[in-house]
Amino acid sequence: MNQDKLALDVRSVSKMFGRRQILTDISFTLKTGEFLLIVGPNGAGKTTLLKILATLLSPGSGDAFVSGFSVKKNPTKVRERIGFISHNHLLYRDLTTYENLKFYGEMYGVKDLDARIDELLNMVELNHRRYDTVRNFSRGMFQRLAIARALLHKPEIMFLDEPHTGLDPHAVDILDGMMRDMSSTTTFVMVTHHIESTLSLGTQALILDEGKIQYCSDTGIDLERFRSIYGKVCGRGIEHDCD
Amino acid sequence: MTAIRQGWAILRKDLLLEMRSKEVFTSQFLFVVMAMVIFYFAFSPNIKNLTTVGAGMLWVAITFTSLLGLNRSFVHEKDEECLDGLLLCPVDRATIFAAKFIGNFFFLTTLEVIAVPIFAFFFLTGTFLPNLGWFLLILLLGNVGICGVGTLLATISMNTRARDLLLPVLFLPVMVPVIIPMVLATNYIFTQGESMSELSVWLYTMAIFDIMYVVAGYVLYDFVIGD
Repeated sequence: MNQDKLALDVRSVSKMFGRRQILTDISFTLKTGEFLLIVGPNGAGKTTLLKILATLLSPGSGDAFVSGFSVKKNPTKVRERIGFISHNHLLYRDLTTYENLKFYGEMYGVKDLDARIDELLNMVELNHRRYDTVRNFSRGMFQRLAIARALLHKPEIMFLDEPHTGLDPHAVDILDGMMRDMSSTTTFVMVTHHIESTLSLGTQALILDEGKIQYCSDTGIDLERFRSIYGKVCGRGIEHDCD
Repeated sequence: MTAIRQGWAILRKDLLLEMRSKEVFTSQFLFVVMAMVIFYFAFSPNIKNLTTVGAGMLWVAITFTSLLGLNRSFVHEKDEECLDGLLLCPVDRATIFAAKFIGNFFFLTTLEVIAVPIFAFFFLTGTFLPNLGWFLLILLLGNVGICGVGTLLATISMNTRARDLLLPVLFLPVMVPVIIPMVLATNYIFTQGESMSELSVWLYTMAIFDIMYVVAGYVLYDFVIGD
C-alpha cells in the first residue's frame, strides 16, 4: 500500500441545513492506511462530515476527494471504494442474513459472492444464522452483520459512525479485532464518543465543535494538546464520553 | 449490464420483502374490493345500466388503491435507514427509480388481475368483450402513468413527517392529465365498443403523458432522492 497516497483530501467543505451552519470551512488530509478519530460534542457536525465523505450528503461548498475521486463529480467511484458502518445497521429485517449480504453483494458487483459471504459470516460468527430472517437478531448480531455488509466489497476506506453504540462486549471484540486486522490495508475514519477505548486505534485525530475544526493532528496525535482541547470543548477529560 | 444487474437485485429484493410481509397487497386488495362493493350498493338501486358509470368507478378505485401501494413502496427502505445502505451502493439513482417503478407497476398490475374481474362481475355486461384488448391497453397505460409519477412523488414525500397526507396532495393533481383520458377511453370501450377513432386520441394523450412522467422520474430522481 502506498502510504504517501492521500486517502482523503477535504478542501474547505461547508454545509448548511436551512439557515443553520453545520460545517464551516473544513479542510484536512489523511494518508492511506491511517486511522482518523473524529470526536466532539453532540451537534458538532461529525456525522454530517462523515455523510458528506460517504456521498450521502453533498457539500454546500468546497469539495472532498476520497481515494482521489471527488464526492461531487465522481460519487459512484467514491462509493465503490468505501464501506460504511453506523449505529443503524442498514439491513432489511424481513430478509435472511444470507439474502441481505447477497443483495448488497450484487449491488457492489462482488465476484465469487457466495465464497465471500461464507468468509465474512465465519469472521463475524453468524454462519449458523445464515438462513434466519434478521428481524429477531440482537443489537450485537445486527451490528456484526452490518460489519460483514460493509466489508463485502473489500473497501479501501471504512467510515464508522459511532460503531460501538449499544454493542455487547463480544461484538466490540469482533469490531475492534476487525479494525486491527485490516489496519495495514485499509484507511479508517471513525466518529466516536468512546475516546478512552478507541484512542489506541487512532493514528490521527480531529476535534470538531460547532462545525469548526478545533484540533487536527498532522503527524500523529499530540496527546497532551488533544487532551487539553478535548477537555475545553467537551468540558471533561477523555476518560469520559463527550456526549 | 451493471445497471440491469443492480436494478434486478433491487426489484427482486422488493418482491421478496412483499412476499414475506404481504403488507401492500393485502391492504390494497381489501381496499379495492370494499370500494367496488360500496359503489355497487350505492349505485345499483338508482342506475339501471351500471356500465355507464363503470369507468369512473374503476379508476377511482384503482387510483386510490395505488396510493396505498405507493405510500408503502419505501417503507422497507425507511426501516433502519436501509435507504442509506442503498444510496451507499455504487448504483445510478435512475436505476433505483427504474427498479422501484417496475416493482410498483408489477404490484398494481397483479392487483388488477384479481380486481378487474371482480369489477366486471359487479359493473359490466359482456358488450365490451370484443374490445378487451383495447381495455387491457388502457389499463397498462394507466398503470405506467400512475407508477411513473407515483414512484417519483412517493420518494419526495418519503422524508416528510406527513407523507401519508402529502403523497395524495401531490399525486392527484399531477395525475389529472392521465386520469381524464383513462376514464374517457375506458368509458368509450364500456359504452360504445365500436368506432376506434375517438379512442385513439385518448390513448395517444395517455401515452404522451406516460412518457413525460417516466422520463421526468428517470432524469430527476438523482435530485429527488439526494439531500
